[in-house]
Amino acid sequence: MEVLERFRDCLSKRHDIAKGWKKRNKPVIGWTCTYTPEEIIHAAEALPVMVLGDLRGTKLADAYLPSNSCSFARSCLNAALRGDYDYLDGFVESNSCDNRGKIFDMWTHYTKIPNIYFINTPHTNTEKAHQFFYEEVVKFKEWLEKTFNISISDQALKKAIEVHNKNRLLLKKVYDLRMKDPPLISGTEALEISLSSTVTPKEEHNKLLNQLLNEIANRSNKPKKGVRLLVTGSVMDNAELIKIIEGVGGTVVADDWCTGSRYFWNLVDLDNDPLRAIARRYLDKIPSSFMYHHEERFKHVLEMAKRYDVEAAVIFVLKFCDTHMFDAPLLRDELKTLDLPVLYLEWEHSMSGIAGLKTRIEAFIEMVGGVK
Amino acid sequence: MSERGLQATRGFYRNYIKKYYEEAHKAKAEKRPVAWVTSTFPIETLLAMDIVPIWPENYASVCAAKQASVELCERAEKEGFSRDLCSYSRCVLGSMFGEEKALPEGGMPKPDFLVTTTCACDTHLKWFQVASRLYKVPLFLLDVPYNISGADSLSLEKTHVDFYISQLEELFSFLEKQTGTRLDKTRLRETVALSNQTSQLWMEIQDCRKTIPCPMDARDAFSAVFFMLCVPGTRMAVDFYTTLRDEIRERARNKVGVVENEKYRLIWDNLPLWFNLKIFEYLNSLGAVVVAETFSHVWAGSLDPSKPLESLARKYLANFANASVKRKIDMILNLAEGFSVNGIILPTNWGCRMMSLGETIVRDTVYKKLGVPSLIIDVDSSDWRNYNEAQVKDRFETFFETLTRKQ
Repeated sequence: MEVLERFRDCLSKRHDIAKGWKKRNKPVIGWTCTYTPEEIIHAAEALPVMVLGDLRGTKLADAYLPSNSCSFARSCLNAALRGDYDYLDGFVESNSCDNRGKIFDMWTHYTKIPNIYFINTPHTNTEKAHQFFYEEVVKFKEWLEKTFNISISDQALKKAIEVHNKNRLLLKKVYDLRMKDPPLISGTEALEISLSSTVTPKEEHNKLLNQLLNEIANRSNKPKKGVRLLVTGSVMDNAELIKIIEGVGGTVVADDWCTGSRYFWNLVDLDNDPLRAIARRYLDKIPSSFMYHHEERFKHVLEMAKRYDVEAAVIFVLKFCDTHMFDAPLLRDELKTLDLPVLYLEWEHSMSGIAGLKTRIEAFIEMVGGVK
Repeated sequence: MSERGLQATRGFYRNYIKKYYEEAHKAKAEKRPVAWVTSTFPIETLLAMDIVPIWPENYASVCAAKQASVELCERAEKEGFSRDLCSYSRCVLGSMFGEEKALPEGGMPKPDFLVTTTCACDTHLKWFQVASRLYKVPLFLLDVPYNISGADSLSLEKTHVDFYISQLEELFSFLEKQTGTRLDKTRLRETVALSNQTSQLWMEIQDCRKTIPCPMDARDAFSAVFFMLCVPGTRMAVDFYTTLRDEIRERARNKVGVVENEKYRLIWDNLPLWFNLKIFEYLNSLGAVVVAETFSHVWAGSLDPSKPLESLARKYLANFANASVKRKIDMILNLAEGFSVNGIILPTNWGCRMMSLGETIVRDTVYKKLGVPSLIIDVDSSDWRNYNEAQVKDRFETFFETLTRKQ
């Protein structure tokens, strides 16, 4: 299907899209954590883009990072050092994990990216934390206004909320296509679709999503029937691992990535003061593993497992991703309450040692498929 | 004149650490409230309410010193916890699963509740979430904003200090609920006053190490810092540090150093190798002495007993664990100048992202500003499987050759 190609293009040509945006004299702001309130960047007529890694090696970053640090952060820093992100007019980081706090220092010290900003993100969602985060969000808005010499109106914020909520609702509809057996879209495609939303102007992404939803029923090359899997774990910024699963008899029908379902599952309340509503949405959304109320994420995973009728689950944790490494055994036990077989894998963003992982994935899928 | 060991720290383990665990077990048996706590948590709040603080990180260092940590780490790994996690946490998680009898000091008394903070790392929260589920006890989190500007305790952002103070109030409500006793505000002020005194004495001790030759080594500092960390607001801490300070002062006055011919004066960043504190003696044998540890300097801060909550907020919020690397660089620059340092050791602790990231920025900035070189080495605080002694010794020797050529 042509439209599916378009989502893939959004990812592979993401730097060109961003450079195209700049031709209109509007800034592009990079971010790395899905706790970054993109709506405010959108309301500033800037393009928010998630900084993603790639598979082109990390030699440049290796000179500055110890070998025990997050390989996703390493790949992103390397891309910046290589000059891939020279077009960024700003970069937003947050303290959503120990790596990120220090990555702020790395980007400030070693890259040429201007206007590096830090949003302090609480690890709780108590009323006090909400008030604190609201003030952080106000400061962020004021920083954007001052840095880019613009003013952000409530009207623009409301418009941004509408566009983002629309994107979230459409993505949810796309995910609904995965309930069928076989699903109407593959796990690889689903990840490419949600991930492309992080680097594409939301209005355009919404158009593509509408087109996809209109055309999908007539799809000729439907995904193959396979062992229905849920995948969960650390940030997933490319579809390589899913491709491996789907190449050996698995079909990924549900996920809990921060770049997957957790990216769009929760909406911003439109009836409220826009900045307060935005701040509240981020702190109250299905939490990431760094949050105090991490068990709500486990609940989300279990609900996804039931909603999409999965037969097994794979937990993919990036090497040195502490918060997910701690959660993994707990989440494994939770999934076992649904009698689901669970495979826990640690992986390097660079895909080194991938042959070993592939063997384990293949054996796991064979085992699950065999007992059917 | 040179003499390694100090009188005050002789039999330190037996006299203080072992005794601490014995008394904690006794307190538990008497049904006094026991809380587990992590570093950078304002432990003074617990001491002021007669809650027995148990510090799993200290327990992990005990297990490492007794060469029991790797076996415990392996137990945690069998439960599914990654080998790349903080070895403190793996060691303690290991002690929570399976046999208790054979554990050093009979294990840790079980917690009635848990208190932690995001001030040092995510690991503290994640580790205690596991403990909370396993023991089915409540977990209080002091949620701390990150000090991105690297501000010192006096120039912290007001919103950060206010957010912290408002959570201290919530903490006291939590502690009151858990223990069934009210906070005595006079007692809190007294505890803060004692903590301030502890801190001042500790800094006086550190100051004496500016003397050439240096009168106190890292091995003694890493033992004695126990009082700063675990029981800073107690008479016991004040008494111990008074004795220690007097002895160190005397040594400094008489020019009694750790090594005879001091060739290299070093700063040691990060944690020591708890399973191998002898590494400091090895350094001494090469004419090197650690004159300052960032770990010894990071806990001190002056506290104003008339403003107990704000004082605690400022003391802990300014900890470099919770700040841009600029904060650590500022500290190392100060220490390097004040302590006539000619080399800096930056150990990369395998399971610790927070302390290991940014080392190249520290190394490059300090060299640029003061011309003092750094050595980055791969270590682990408690898991010797992540440590290659021959390689590390080799690196030390090459580093010292460089320093000699520089001199």
